[in-house]
Amino acid sequence: MSHRFFVTTGVVALVIVVTLVAPGNVAGQAASSTSKVAPRQAAASAKPWTPPRTPDGQPDLQGVWDYRTITPLERPKELGTKAFFTEEEAAKYEKTENQRQNRDLIDPEQGGLFYPKGGVVPYNEFWYDRGNKVAGTKRTSLIVDPPDGRLPAWTPEGQKEADLRAAAERNDQLGHPAADSWEDRPLQERCLVGLNAGPPMVPGAYNNDVQLLQISGYVVILNEMVHSARIVPLDGRPHGSVRQWRGDSVGHWEGNTLVVDTTNFRRETSLPGSSANTHLIERFTRTDANTLLYEFTVDDPTMWTRPWTAVVPMTKSDDPIYEYACHEGNYAMSGILAGARAADKAAAEAGKSGSK
Amino acid sequence: MQNWLRVAISAASKGALIAGLMAGGIAALWLVPMPNVSHAQTSKTARTADGKPNLNGIWEALNTANWDIQDHAARMGPVVALGAAFSIPAGRGVVEGNEIPYLPEAAAKKKENSEHWLTADPEIKCYMPGVPRATYMPYPFQIVQTPQHILMAYEFAGATRTIYMNSKLKSPNDTWMGWSVGHWEGETLVVDVTSFNDQTWFDRAGNFHSDALHVVERYTPISPDALDYEVTIEDPKIFSRPWKMRMPLYRHLEKDAQLLEYQCVEFAEELLYGPLRKQKSK
Repeated sequence: MSHRFFVTTGVVALVIVVTLVAPGNVAGQAASSTSKVAPRQAAASAKPWTPPRTPDGQPDLQGVWDYRTITPLERPKELGTKAFFTEEEAAKYEKTENQRQNRDLIDPEQGGLFYPKGGVVPYNEFWYDRGNKVAGTKRTSLIVDPPDGRLPAWTPEGQKEADLRAAAERNDQLGHPAADSWEDRPLQERCLVGLNAGPPMVPGAYNNDVQLLQISGYVVILNEMVHSARIVPLDGRPHGSVRQWRGDSVGHWEGNTLVVDTTNFRRETSLPGSSANTHLIERFTRTDANTLLYEFTVDDPTMWTRPWTAVVPMTKSDDPIYEYACHEGNYAMSGILAGARAADKAAAEAGKSGSK
Repeated sequence: MQNWLRVAISAASKGALIAGLMAGGIAALWLVPMPNVSHAQTSKTARTADGKPNLNGIWEALNTANWDIQDHAARMGPVVALGAAFSIPAGRGVVEGNEIPYLPEAAAKKKENSEHWLTADPEIKCYMPGVPRATYMPYPFQIVQTPQHILMAYEFAGATRTIYMNSKLKSPNDTWMGWSVGHWEGETLVVDVTSFNDQTWFDRAGNFHSDALHVVERYTPISPDALDYEVTIEDPKIFSRPWKMRMPLYRHLEKDAQLLEYQCVEFAEELLYGPLRKQKSK
């Protein structure tokens, strides 16, 4: 949506993922709960609203939807069991958080946010187009299940990967990324998947825009990030067996809700910590003329000890989706690799002179 | 007109064609029952709810234009080890008159592009292919047609573009896939494409354009499962006059036909970044 001419900002991509999904330390897990999730409760308490229909009778979800928000994926630990903000608390949270996340106010020498002292603050505020408002639900986290608003406990495999990822992120922030080859870099930096395009879609640094198009038999989920068009058949066909970066999506209607079921991921999804074993269910419900409630449930028994669900209210936008060329402008990848080779060379020369 | 008739002959029965001509207009072709087609196919173009020709579906060109949009003989491919399997098929060109009116300097550049194809062609780097090349690459593409927006999703590199119908929106910047504004002229979807960068090519033979490229595409159903695709290319920095390409596009009829990922970034990374890979210590 932002029509600044973005080249790929791989490092931004990495950093924002960290913000949204702080790995590890998921303390105080509530016992597993199978309670149903908020959107239906919210929908029940709201005035009934009947969505318009497409000519072939589907609920009409079409349009460009904006999913920017400053609400974090996980509830900040200090908020404990508090699931919702009051209006006043929301305003206060926005003010504090917008200040805290403003990259222009962070001195790299001092560190700040999650940047370590003497590390790298890779982009200034100009490059960001993240949300600055809490989600319309006034929830304190996008995650609604588990009830504590935090990711569930890792499996042993998940924990191992989380530790490796945390160490790699630390090295990035300190300015010496693991970059023996491009294969050491996250999929998002390679433009293989879109940072926040998903599936599932999780609000991120910029390009938090998705357009839904509907024709008879298909729904198209068109993300601005990395020009990703998921063309989802609604004809009841089973999943195929081809594994893809964005998985294999099929959809159906449950009342006014579009349900998209995705399996057959090739590796991890765009969600840090997930695996190819992810079974993703996304639900899209238009709750009023200007709101599309997006709910997703991640079931990845390889990495997490139980499924988890997040809700992201999206807002109707009048702006179009623009072309986002990621790979075509990925100078960051050459820069990261060249920097790592220069560091190798400097280390080798220091070693030689030291041994004399 | 003559090209049009050739296409029409291949698509319709001779009888229908004659009847159409007698009716005094090409539009009449669609209204005349064709005796030789099966029950499932009728001469009437499928319609969307708003009464427009229904172009929804998965389509693909069936030609060798991505190798060279002009006439070309078969020749050996660039990799000796792949022999006959990956050599270059012959093809009749898709350029009207088989002549591309390059300005002198541009003609020299085309020759240079051709000689350095393997290092210079943006296709090899998995860059979005531009228009019209995306249409006739050897990969399918899907048309998703709504009244206001028509999405073209291409399998190659997952490239996409949106056609804004009857829109006055302007592109804020140059793009790889252009900025597309469409309208209907009778049975034909006409798409005006501008705001290109100068980074894409027309084929592997090095045919190219500048950022002044202006493309007008015309998509016309010629049968339930084929479209006539006509493209006018205009670029005063490169060509002395506008010129045209034309070809049929065919519908994928497989049950559950589906656009799959051809996420080619990973096939181009070694080529692009290989020299920056850490070398194993000796």
